[in-house]
Formats: sequence, structure tokens, C-alpha cells
Amino acid sequence: MTPEAMTPEAMTAKAAMSDPLPASARRSHTPPESPLEAEGRRLGFLMALPTQLLLVFIVVFPLLMQLYISLTAWTPLYGQNWTQAWQSWNWFENYAEVMQDGRFWSALWRTFLVIIVCVPAQFLLGLGLAILFVENFPGKRVFYSVLLTPMMVVPAVAGYMFFMLFQSGGPINGILSDLTGLNVTTAWLSDPSLALAAVMIADIWQWTPLMFLILLAGLIGVPEDQLKAATLLGASWWQRFRTIMLPRIRTVIVIALVIRTVEIFKIFDNLYIMTGGGPGVSTETISVYIYKVTLQNLEWSYVATVALIILVSLSVVTAFGLKLMDRR
Amino acid sequence: MASITLSGLTKTFGTFTAVKSLDLHIADKEFLALLGPSGCGKSTTMNIIAGMEQPSAGTVRFDDRDMLNVPMGRRGVGFVFQNYAIFTHMSVYDNIAYGLRMRGLPKAEIDARVRQVAELLGLTPFLKQKSAGLSVNILQRLAIGRSAAVNPQIFLLDEPLSNVDAAFRAVMRTELKHLQREFGQTMIYVTHDQLEAMTMADRIAVMDRGVLQQVGSPIEVYNNPVNTFVARFLGSPSMNLLPARLGTEDGRPVVEVTGLGRVAAPASARGSADVLFGIRPEDLTITATDLPGAFVMEVVFVERVGPRTIVHLARDGQELKAIEGNGFPVAIGDRLGVVAKPESVRLFDAATGQALDKEPADG
Amino acid sequence: MAEITFENVSKRFGDTVAVDDVSFRVADNEFFCIFGPPTSGKSTILRLLLGLETPDAGDILIDGKSVLGVSPAGRNVAMVFQNLALFPHMTTENNIRFPLVERGQPAETIAPRVAEVAEKLHITPLLKKMPAQLSGGERQRVAIARALVRDPVAYLMDDPISALDARLREETRVELKRIQRELGHTLIYVTHDQEEAMSVADRMAILEHGAIRQIDTPEAIYDRPASRYVARLVGSPPINLIPGVVRTGRFETDDGALRIDLDRGGFAHDGPVDLGVRPEDVRISPPDADGAAAARVYEVEPLGGFTIVDVEMSGQILRAMLRGQPPIRANEPVGLSIAPSSIHLFARDSGATLFADTRG
Repeated sequence: MTPEAMTPEAMTAKAAMSDPLPASARRSHTPPESPLEAEGRRLGFLMALPTQLLLVFIVVFPLLMQLYISLTAWTPLYGQNWTQAWQSWNWFENYAEVMQDGRFWSALWRTFLVIIVCVPAQFLLGLGLAILFVENFPGKRVFYSVLLTPMMVVPAVAGYMFFMLFQSGGPINGILSDLTGLNVTTAWLSDPSLALAAVMIADIWQWTPLMFLILLAGLIGVPEDQLKAATLLGASWWQRFRTIMLPRIRTVIVIALVIRTVEIFKIFDNLYIMTGGGPGVSTETISVYIYKVTLQNLEWSYVATVALIILVSLSVVTAFGLKLMDRR
Repeated sequence: MASITLSGLTKTFGTFTAVKSLDLHIADKEFLALLGPSGCGKSTTMNIIAGMEQPSAGTVRFDDRDMLNVPMGRRGVGFVFQNYAIFTHMSVYDNIAYGLRMRGLPKAEIDARVRQVAELLGLTPFLKQKSAGLSVNILQRLAIGRSAAVNPQIFLLDEPLSNVDAAFRAVMRTELKHLQREFGQTMIYVTHDQLEAMTMADRIAVMDRGVLQQVGSPIEVYNNPVNTFVARFLGSPSMNLLPARLGTEDGRPVVEVTGLGRVAAPASARGSADVLFGIRPEDLTITATDLPGAFVMEVVFVERVGPRTIVHLARDGQELKAIEGNGFPVAIGDRLGVVAKPESVRLFDAATGQALDKEPADG
Repeated sequence: MAEITFENVSKRFGDTVAVDDVSFRVADNEFFCIFGPPTSGKSTILRLLLGLETPDAGDILIDGKSVLGVSPAGRNVAMVFQNLALFPHMTTENNIRFPLVERGQPAETIAPRVAEVAEKLHITPLLKKMPAQLSGGERQRVAIARALVRDPVAYLMDDPISALDARLREETRVELKRIQRELGHTLIYVTHDQEEAMSVADRMAILEHGAIRQIDTPEAIYDRPASRYVARLVGSPPINLIPGVVRTGRFETDDGALRIDLDRGGFAHDGPVDLGVRPEDVRISPPDADGAAAARVYEVEPLGGFTIVDVEMSGQILRAMLRGQPPIRANEPVGLSIAPSSIHLFARDSGATLFADTRG
């Protein structure tokens, strides 16, 4: 028996600790609601009801409408109101057609390619920058403002900017010429394989700052005392990063990745301005594809089908991300 | 083996001086309490010892090694944070094992050590639990266990008991002292609670506004405070301090306590001066009013707290507290005599607050 | 002016009995403390009185009239917030006015009322100051003034000073008691700190699992606890409990190391008991002293005014509290004795008091 276990108070403490119900559990015990609380809850429900109804109307109504149209062959060209679409009811024909649409699949694949390249690139760059910015260094504020600027540029403007930069006689080729001493005249935006790379570079340029900002917020939230405690216990920087920082910003990382993944599904304005989806369909992502089918072909029921399919896939991605967040 | 020597330690933040030329030696295996009110510089001192902050001037030595250029991870210092800084995303086991794993020890060795520490601190039933939901009392032990697992030679504790409830605090006071003896470490314990300092420490260092006021064993500091700050800070209720005047009567030094009466002054007191008359509540005896030399006062309040009866007395704006035992027969409104034990009287300079029969603190 | 009565009040939350058949009567102008460990039902009693909860059984009366049908506002019972919090951005005066302004009272009735309360609490000179400029004691008076300004029939405090540090708590509780004396209002005060309860209360109720175990003055509870549970709750360091057996008027520990003759006639309980003795009633003597049990000093905690000595006697640690600074060192052999007049005996199984200190 250790000497401290012999004091009467120590024995009480041990007895208290072997209490089947830990103190925290007792404290967290919340009494069931009183009539007063129940009344408060009813009132709260009533007051929130109008907003709830509005939300349902805004979200659910378009969804149902879309589903309805996707089951028809309706297009505004027929000169009918959309409510009359049932007249051209064709069950799942649109869905079958989408499945066989090579252009749809290649647009979807291209979108995934952009995601697979851009999201990790933005994450790693953003994380690296965030780690730098957790510490203080001279000129931090200035660098910080500069770093965040791309995010604030209107995507269409960013599109024009990169459109200009990547011209064959543009600044990028100019810089490359100066660096290599050769006369570089690469036609970035009209070369089918380089055009997509240019689009990716633009996206990484514009959205790394967002990743940086989110991850920085996460890293700043890691309790400093815990990092100090780990250091005092002999952990190196890398060990602290792996055992304290990373697990603590896990949720933030998942949120950032989900946001960027979903955003890239919707990539449109800068891409459309830079390449218009071309040359040919070589930079046509799913959003550009939808836009083209809608406005150029006016196949609205078909578009509704594609949009629904995308919506469902995005929901799956998000749900997966949220599940990652729950798992601790 | 680890003694700690601080010399000329100074830390300034902008224009604010948190610690001012502190000289302090803590012997190997000593339990030192760094006591003072919040903002007195005690935590800053501890952070400098741990290497979390760099001093503006002065040195920190462990034995004979200068520590200033040694990063905090290599100082071999165990540190218990006030908020415990438990890794809440890990289990209790992983918390205790953390420092051992960072050293890359073999799994079996880590496991044995974790279980040993857990057993010692009564944490065994919780090893598998996530540390996030645990009660403060258990987190507190866990924080100690996590640091103790790597067997540091120096243990620093920053107000470790300030968040736990009163009953558990009393338990931990005794246990911490035993643990320190068992582990044989040099321990510095930062606290603002004089009771914790008195009961646990081998020596107490009292700080105020960045300046070390007094160092000594609890009883030394309690009995012979060097100034009114230390006198007030130790003891509960704290020392009575009343304005008075030192003079002589028949060649012997006497103190005229304003509005109350005369008491023989300690023999070492000389001359005449405005002073503060200091007497601990337990060194006052309540007597009949007609006893020669007794202060006649009125009872304004009585606190009966179990074994002790704290009697609050007043007269002409002068207030005194006296302590008597359980069941002492006294009631509000009573007129009583109060006698101070002459050998317990302490005199302080009215202007500087320094004890009259003592040299000012010089570290 | 208020007398508050709980008559057989019970309240359950699901399967948990929070308040179990509680009855008590708080006299007008009384300082009444409700004391018990966490989750013993203290706060639920306050919530029942405030009208935030409805009892499942029993009745709550203020001045003899049931208030069960009265809304919280209609009961006119004031609650002083935890830690006596003031709004830091408002002057003292605006802090005190706040409850009246909030109730939409006309300005011409507010001003005289604030002045009257401020006068009563001696804080008139502080009215224009900000809370940050006040001392702890002054802040407390202001907080109480704010509770009293609407002239409640009684005021309640739920652990009002638990977050303050030790020294401030000691000063604050004295101040609280003095204010209550001056004002003469009924005050119900909930705390989990036994020393605080003992120091302020006129009478106190001891709770366990929602039921009242004893109601009496602090001195009576300390000297004559109704059970082992109550005895352990009050007093610091806590009462020592020594298991043993009573046979024909004599207490004896199992190994016979300690024997005490219960020299009062008529005590005829034979059987296993726990002997309770307060630390201040444990006597330490030289090891060879007459009638003393052999013991060894385990730990000495000097506290200046008194000293706590942990003494080991046949494998058990007893705490003694001695006045002053006796020259006792750890590991020293000593003699230990207990005056028969200072002991308590509790039945081993039920914990009920069989025999109590009769000095009180």
C-alpha cells in the first residue's frame, strides 16, 4: 500500500472515484422539461414556422419541379408553359440518354480531374501557408493581406486576367522566355492538353487563399497550452503537428475539402471566359456542359435530368465528408 | 539531482516589469511554494524556468548548467498547467504514454510505466476512457501523471488546485506532498492560496508586484513576516494591523495603539515612530474588561465555524479579530477585554510597511 | 416581511427524486442556509420557491398563503445573481434602477426608491461610480441593492460567492451577514461550502439526495449531528471516524488499541459502531502518558495559528488539530487520547447518532 493511500481523505477520494456514476455524468444530467419550458418550446416552434415554410418552398419546390420536368421531353421551344410538360411525359428516357451521353461523361471526368489536382494542391499550399502564419514574423500583416487578395477578385475578372496572362504573346510566355532564353510562344489556351492545366492554375491561384484562411483559423484554435505541454514532454515539431495539431483541425480540414470539392463542381465563370470550354470540349466541365446544353440546345428537360444527377452525387460527397467529421 | 538557481532574473513586457531582479535558490528535492496574488510575477517566473519565456535579464541554472539556451523540450521539466492542458482528443492512456512515445521507448516499457503511474494516481479505472468527458478532479490527476510518466527531475505546478472543489483540494494537498517525496523531485508550486503553500511547502517564497518579498519555511514566514504585505497574505483570518505609536515609558519601549491602549513593545523596538501594531487573531486572548492593560472593545460580529469562533471586535473605528475555540461564550454587543501576548506583537513602519526589528528583504 | 414554508414538497424529474418530502419554515428576517453536496437538490428547492418549477406534491406558502398558483413574477421573490454580477458598463445608480426600468415603472417613482435603497445600504456616495471603481464589499452592497429595489418579500442567493478566491470569500461572507442583519430581510442562501454555511446562517438545513437530514443552528449541527452523514459534512478537517464495538458501556477498537469508557449512565447499545471525534478533540501527549494509546506522527501541517497533525494508530490515520505551533515532528511516537465527553457514536449500519457530544 502506498503511503498516501492510507490517509482517510485519500481513501474517500478513491471511493469517490470508483463511484459508478462519474461526476461529469451527474452534472450533465438535465432534468426533463417543466411545463414552463414546454410552453416555451411550443411558442418557439410557432414563431419559427413561417420561416420554415418559406425554406421548404424555396428548396423543395424547385427540386420537385426539376424532378417533374426531368421525366418529360419538355422544352420552351414547344411554346407550352412548363405546367403543361406532362403532355410530353416520357418516363426515364432522359436518364437513359444521359447515361449514354459521352459528352456528359467526359465533362464529369474532367471535373473530377480538376478536383483531384486542384483540391489537394490548394490544401497542401494552404496548409503550408497556414503553418507559416501561425507564428509571428516581420511583415506578417502585409503578406496576409496580399495572400487573401486573389480570393476577393470576382471570378470573371480573374478569368480575364488569366486569359490575358496565357496569351501566346502574353506575360507568362514572356517570363518563360526570359528565364529560358528561348522564344516561348506556347498557345496555352488553344492547346487541348495545356488549356485544362491553365484553368487549374487559375483555380489554384484564386482559391488557395480560402483554404489557407480556413486552415489558419483551425490552427489558431489549437490550444497553445497543449502545444506547450507536448513540447515539454519532448515532442518535436513534426510530432506535435502529427499528434496534436492535425487531430485537432481534422473537422476544419474536412469542411475545407468539402467546400472546395463542391465549389469545383460548380466551376464556371473564369473557365468560360478563359477557354469557353474549348478548344472543342477539352475544358468542358460539368457546369459548362450544362450551360451549353441549356442555352445552346434549349433541351431543358434533359438539363433538369443532368442537374438532378449532379445534385445527388454532390449530396453523396457532402454526406461522406460529414461522416468523416463525425468519426473521431 | 536538480537544484535550481535563479540570479538577477528580470522580465519586462513593454513598460511593465513582471519580475524584478529575482535571486532564488531551490535545493535538490525541495518543495518550494511560490506564493502571491495574481499578477505578482509568480507564473512568469515559472514560465521562464520551464523555458516557455526568455528572461529580459538574469540567468537560470539547473545544478551548474546554464539553461537559457536550452529549448524547453530538452530541459527535462515536468509542468502541470492551471487548466491541465490535457490532450482531450486522446484517451487517458494515450495522454500518460505521450511523453514516453515521443522518446521512442519500446511498447512494453511504455505500457508498464503507464500502468505504474496510473495505479499510483488512482487512474487505472479510466485508462481506456476519452479524457474529454472526465471530471476536473480526474483531469487534475491525469495532468500530474502525464508529466510524472517521463520522470522529470524538476516538477513545476501552476495553481493546479484552483479549479477543483474544496473537499478534493484538501485531499490533493496531502497527496501531492507524498507524491513529491515518493518521486524525489525538486518541485515548485505556484499558488495564490496561502493555505496550500503553508501545508505543502518546505519553503515559501512570497512575491508581490514582481519583487520577492520573503523566503523561508512556512512557520518562519508566518511568525516573522518582513513587511505588512507578507503579514496580511499569510494566515486566515489575516494578521490584525492597527495604527499605533511607538514610545517609551519608564525607559521601556511601549506601543500606544490608537484609541485602544498601551502594550509593552518587543524589547528590540527603539525610539519613537508611527507604526502599525500587528497581532495574529490567535494571539489575542479575550478577558474581563477590568484586566489591567486589556483593550476594552465591543463584539460586532461572531463567526462560529466549527472548531473556531472568530470574534470581530471594534472600538472607535479600530477593528480586531480574535480566535477562540468552539462554543466560546460570546454574543454581538458584548463588551470585552482583549489582551495581546507581548511576544507575539509585531511592529511595522507606518510609512514603509517594513518590519521594525528586521532588515528589509534582500532576497 | 415574509415567512416561507415548505410543506412536504416533492419534485421528481423522470426517475430521479430531486426533492423528497421536504418541509421547513423560514422565519421572517431569518438567514436560512440550505447546505449539501452537489446535486443534493439545493437549487431545485430555490427554483420551486421562485416558481420556475412546480412541485409534484406538497405546498409552498409565503406568509401563510399558498403560492403554487402564482407566477414567478407575482411571488416577488428576488434572486441575487451568482458572484453578485453587476453590469460593468452602467453606473451604480443605473445598475440599481435596472429592475424597475425593465418593469416599466414611471421615472418619478424610480428615483426616490433607488435613493431609499441606496441610503439603507450606505451606498449613496457610490451612486455615480462605475462597478470597476468599487471595492469587493461595495460591489456586493450594490448587487444586493439591485435585488432589493423592487422590495421583494424575500431574497435568494445560489452559491453567490463560490467563484471568489479564499480570502475574498471570508471577507464577503461576513459582509453579507452584516448587511442582512442591518436590512432584516428573509434570506435563503444555498451553498456547498460548509464553513460558509456555518459562518452566515441563523439556521441551516442539511440535504442529502433531496431530503432534509437535519435543520438546526450551525452550532447545534456541529456539536450534535443527527447522523454520521451530517457529522462528516460539517467541520474542516472532517470528523475522524474510528470503527469499533461497544460492550457494556465501553468502546473498543477491534485490535484493542483504543478503549474509552462511556461514563454516562444509561447507554446500553451494544454492537458495532463508528466512533466520531472532531480533530480539535483529539489529544496528543508524550508517548508514555497515562491512559493514552500508542501512536506515531505521520504528517504535520503547520498552519500558523493552528497545526494539523496526522497520527497513525494501528493502521488508521486520525487527524488532530492543535492550537498554536506545537513542537511535533513526523515519525515521532506520541500518545493519543480522546476525552469521553467529546465523542459521538454512530450505528455502524444506519449511521444514526447513538450518543453525542454533550458539551454544547
